[in-house]
Amino acid sequence: MPLAQVLSPLIPAGLARGSVVSVEGSTSLMVALAARASHEGSWSAIVGMPAVGVVAAARRGLDLSKLVLVPHPGTQVVEVAGACVDGMDVTLLGARLALSDADRRRLMSRARERGSVVIASGPWSGAHLRLVVEHSAWRGLGAGEGRLRERDLTVAVTSRREGATRRVRIVLDADTSGLRHGAARVAEEVA
Amino acid sequence: MSAPVHARGGPVTTTRRAVLWVPDWPVAAAMREAGLGADAPAAVLHGRGMVAVSAAARAAGVRRGHGKRQAQRACPEVVILPYDEGRDAREFEAVAAAAEEVVAGVEISRPGLLMIPAEGAARFHGSEEALAEALVTAVAEASGHECSVGAADGLLAAILAARASVLVPTGASAEFLATAPVTVLPLAAMERRQREAVEDLVSVLGRLGIDTLAHFTALPVGDVLARFGPVGRWAHHIGLGHDVRPPVLRRAEDDIEVGYEFEEPAQRIEQLTLVAAESSRLLDEALLAAGVRCARVRITARTERGDVLERVWRTDVGSRAGAFARHMTDRVRWQLEGWLSGTANGPEPAPLTSLSLTAQDVIALGDEQAYLWGGVSGADSRAQRTVERMQSLLGPDAVLAVREQGGRSPRDRVLASPWGQETTPARKVEHPWPGRIPDPAPATVLPLPEPMQVLDAGGSPVVVDRRLALSAPPTWVRLQADPGRARAAAARRHPAAGHVGDEPTWAEVQPIEAWAGPWPIAERWWAADASRRAYLQVILRRTEGGPALLAAFSGGQWWLEALYD
Repeated sequence: MPLAQVLSPLIPAGLARGSVVSVEGSTSLMVALAARASHEGSWSAIVGMPAVGVVAAARRGLDLSKLVLVPHPGTQVVEVAGACVDGMDVTLLGARLALSDADRRRLMSRARERGSVVIASGPWSGAHLRLVVEHSAWRGLGAGEGRLRERDLTVAVTSRREGATRRVRIVLDADTSGLRHGAARVAEEVA
Repeated sequence: MSAPVHARGGPVTTTRRAVLWVPDWPVAAAMREAGLGADAPAAVLHGRGMVAVSAAARAAGVRRGHGKRQAQRACPEVVILPYDEGRDAREFEAVAAAAEEVVAGVEISRPGLLMIPAEGAARFHGSEEALAEALVTAVAEASGHECSVGAADGLLAAILAARASVLVPTGASAEFLATAPVTVLPLAAMERRQREAVEDLVSVLGRLGIDTLAHFTALPVGDVLARFGPVGRWAHHIGLGHDVRPPVLRRAEDDIEVGYEFEEPAQRIEQLTLVAAESSRLLDEALLAAGVRCARVRITARTERGDVLERVWRTDVGSRAGAFARHMTDRVRWQLEGWLSGTANGPEPAPLTSLSLTAQDVIALGDEQAYLWGGVSGADSRAQRTVERMQSLLGPDAVLAVREQGGRSPRDRVLASPWGQETTPARKVEHPWPGRIPDPAPATVLPLPEPMQVLDAGGSPVVVDRRLALSAPPTWVRLQADPGRARAAAARRHPAAGHVGDEPTWAEVQPIEAWAGPWPIAERWWAADASRRAYLQVILRRTEGGPALLAAFSGGQWWLEALYD
């Protein structure tokens, strides 16, 4: 499955169909992983995340017309997650879902069979890929002035196949419109 | 419902058509409504002048454009009738219906003028003369109006032919038009604004000494466009006897609607399930019998109290040829359950007395338009089935479709609605929304804001005063305790930890790394749902790199609105 340009250092091989990715510490990262595929026409579902920021998801490229939200699956979470894994290309699962380890294993094998991707918030034992945000730094805010502009994320990537943990630093919200670039360009011209 | 059936595509060519014209339609319609005989002198007054004059009044010297006094001087017994566009259109339905007895598919160009594709109809009736005769007879018998019929190639020629009651042979329309004066051009303009523009054009042409259409159309089209703009080009085109667009045919269709009256008001779900299934099946059969499918279904119910509840659901035309009835059954049942239980926001729940389903956006079977790039893909229908399965598991309101809408705070900018239900955004995205919280948008927007504390260096709460200034630079933040960590929360809830009353359980204070704001937003101060808030973006200082928060000050308190995580 295609992956956004900024995320390719994280997973150089791309998001493999049928895999489960667990993400800890960043909702933005979860959405960003799904965004490119959705932009190219995949269907996605967000289950058990009542607080996901839809505008942020849309800005990252998620196609809202092909996005289904199930904010509160409640006790039916196993059936709902199963249906999503069956029918959707990308399924995002929230952190506080009543899924036992056996349920998770069953979902994994279903995803492998169907070729869909599960991106889960929080730890997931046996996930193909584990992304833990170790450090995140926002830029652009001062003491009472500015606004949030850019963010660096340091992510520990543990792949089940490779075993070893890599640490990758990415810029998640690169500021394309901002003053900094304009100022830099002006500086160049002056020079 | 009269839905236009789309004409065949391709470039617009000249169509042979018959035109049925009722002379002085506004006055004919008004006289009919006023109960006057056809030979009474009458005129319709609009603004300061007469817009239509009956034949008797014209004989007495009343002309279009005459004022009231002038008309009464020329013909003292003239009846002045008020102008009413709605009446014109309404009365003309009878004429159109009469014409439809003779030919299937007519276009009402404007009240008083009917357009009929001549070729097929003439072949059916034997000749154009026979067709014209049949039309005049049918209209006179069924509606009592006198009309004249003409046929020619192209719009303008056909209208002129109808006014002169002649049948212009095929191919002779250009000569027929050539001798006509330019003043006939406004006749081909169907809409009032356009007609005014064309009348202006005609008056300029008259002053330039261009009298006949032949003279006008002899001008190079490029020059006409340069001098007179799009109106000139349109007139040039029409004057040559060409068509601007193919005729759009009207189809006489009744609303496809299925109704059900409850013998006694229904208030139990079980009663409704059967009714939902039955009416969906009936609607499906009615649609099939009419040879159409619909894109939307309006569900209307009436309660015992007299409230009318109405909701529109989308149906997917492309993929659900067979499953329509089952699909609709679910939706009707959900809607009724929602209304009965009062979970859907609306008037107070009450027993239902009647139910009706109306098909909207009706299109003929086989006329469905596929997506621009290929049809409904396998993934789409698979996803659709998944959504339906989830809706049947959790209920319709638990599965949401989201859209962006206009607004300033991150929560306002999202419109979530049950999947498949038609909603219109309350606020438009295109509007500017000054003061909107700048991008990047927060990845986590709390569905309900949580209370939080923003403290200054000394530990006392920071407030925003009436002049939108902060009382002190914010230094510390205290959030609500994570409900998952029950033990930590319980410890802090102990009176020894300073917990009093209904106050939320607070977590430890956290230092602020950087902040920006306050950004004031005062919305809808004139309405009941007015809101006055000041926003603050805050980065917390932590070893692992702090998350950023969006806090709002409103009603003397700070609220955690969103997290940039």
